[in-house]
Amino acid sequence: MTDAVFRETAAEHRTQSLPLSHLSLEVGHLYMEDFEAGPERLREHFTLVRPWVDAVRAAAPAGSGKRPRISTCFLVDDYFSRFSTPAELVPMLLAEAERCGLTIDYLARESACAVADGVQLAESVEHRLVESPPPGSDGSRPPVKEIGWLANGERTPGVERLEAMANDLPSWRPPTETAARRHSVFMDVELWDDREQRRTWSCPFLAAVWQLARLGLLRHNGEAVLVPRPAPEGSFPRDWDDLAPLTRLNPAAQPFAAYRTCSVLPSRFLPVEHAVRVILGQVEVDPRALHQVAERSGREGVPVPEAVADRVAHVFYAGG
Amino acid sequence: MRVPGDPAAAVLLCGEIRTCLLQTGRSLPASAARDLLRLRAGERVRVSERPNLHVVSPDLLTGVDCRLPTGTGARIRAVGTVTARAVLTEGRVLQATARFGCPGGGPDTRRPWGSYLVRPGVVEPLGRLPVRAVADGVLADVRRPGELDLGAVAERLLGEVQRHPLLDQRVPFKSRRTRLRWAALRAPDGEGPSLGRFTLAEDGLRTVELRLPEGTDPAACASLCEDLALHDWLLTTLVRLVERSRLGSADGHEAVMALRPAVDHLLHLWMPRARVDTTLAPLWEVLEREPGFTRQWGTLVQRIRDQLALQAIPLLREALTAR
Repeated sequence: MTDAVFRETAAEHRTQSLPLSHLSLEVGHLYMEDFEAGPERLREHFTLVRPWVDAVRAAAPAGSGKRPRISTCFLVDDYFSRFSTPAELVPMLLAEAERCGLTIDYLARESACAVADGVQLAESVEHRLVESPPPGSDGSRPPVKEIGWLANGERTPGVERLEAMANDLPSWRPPTETAARRHSVFMDVELWDDREQRRTWSCPFLAAVWQLARLGLLRHNGEAVLVPRPAPEGSFPRDWDDLAPLTRLNPAAQPFAAYRTCSVLPSRFLPVEHAVRVILGQVEVDPRALHQVAERSGREGVPVPEAVADRVAHVFYAGG
Repeated sequence: MRVPGDPAAAVLLCGEIRTCLLQTGRSLPASAARDLLRLRAGERVRVSERPNLHVVSPDLLTGVDCRLPTGTGARIRAVGTVTARAVLTEGRVLQATARFGCPGGGPDTRRPWGSYLVRPGVVEPLGRLPVRAVADGVLADVRRPGELDLGAVAERLLGEVQRHPLLDQRVPFKSRRTRLRWAALRAPDGEGPSLGRFTLAEDGLRTVELRLPEGTDPAACASLCEDLALHDWLLTTLVRLVERSRLGSADGHEAVMALRPAVDHLLHLWMPRARVDTTLAPLWEVLEREPGFTRQWGTLVQRIRDQLALQAIPLLREALTAR
């Protein structure tokens, strides 16, 4: 309809496109207790991460023989606990990374995955959850909403249902993974809790939002979200709330969002990242954003895997 | 724009539309209509104000894994997503549409869910799709338990919108909701779109069978069917209002009072093809020739206006003699 004489922009679909790298490489995802342990803990982390970062860079496909565009990022938790100030922590972080030969291009605050620049990112991703239907779902049952949990299969029936069925069924039925290969690995992920009238998003849910942002698949009313801002001139602020949701630390950095992501994390993150995969497998992202990424990656000769969860890779290194 | 996930390769497009009066005393202006249909945070509600006010909600998906309805009773399991949206015309008539497209075949086992989610509105059969049998099954007035229930998806969405706190739940007149189901098969190569059948059943169910060229946008097909359903509902509702007014037999003043809601809320809504894709507009012409939707509407409107004019004459005379 775009060649029509008369157009109304409010009546059209609109999805802003984003600059994209080949790979978004996460070199750390640390909590306040990690910072509390001092620069030694950071040094130890970056020392362990460095060889994997080199390996991931070497393996990154660029298509047509060119150098791949890779941007690195680091996520600081300011959502679940707060410690120190950006003015003290960020220079220490950058110094320790540099000492190990690593460049951090972008720094994100975990709270930005919940709300960034006034946009409720986590909520909009929650509205896009489309649960994997267990066999027999014919559209007549309403989707399970408002319970704050998401599973990769069918749960064990609740107590009331078991009582109703008590006459003709055994008293317990195991949960089942929907796409199980014979045996189930069932996972049920808590997405949020509501306490004292305040919703707190879970770490895996925010991590899923983080992955979608890095994959360039989040929009708000069609507009880009979590747009990086340059690092402040002079020192970093004394309050986390005054730090941009996403800061570009390296002015020469490649674009933040990328066709694929890779995160190098300590192995204790394995359950969280499994949960992230369960969530990513049940999010319907903006189809036009999806199309932009598929079309451009295809044109560059590095087509992305079809399913969003398959665009995400991890390296887990031993240790805490 | 064609986006991935559009079932460009679909050999069958099916849908069901429920059309009804919005549960509110006064029709909603554009800004309120936008708030009403903001069904998902962070996603645009599309608002068009020319040639009439037409507001479209974001698409919502429902995951399904069940049997497709078939005319033959064959058991065809299919997995994917049904897409649903709500549409409000002139802040007065609400429609909920649930639809899906089916490719000619799929793998024999269910794939990971993420692969279905990147094709919104596609339900993929396990194995080969018996196109004719499924089209017949979708259009049939009976549904076997366990078969894909498009009506339930549309009805749930309609209920959700109608319960919105913006609505005062006071309707200006009684009306019935209608259901329209469609099945669009692929037209033979080189042929344009055509309308096979349009059937009105007594219980408010309408069925439409179409043939569309390969690559027709499923959303354009849904818009055409929404336009058909809207005008069929308008006609059905106006016919019933005129019937109930006992025009021609009752006391003239009573008939006028009974017809007043039609003048206030319905007469300005008739605008066939307002947003139908130009390639699909010829399908409307068929219905204009036989049975002649606009002809019937025009006759009814003329009858109402004549009656109002007749009632105005004594009033005019009173006014003149009172001078």
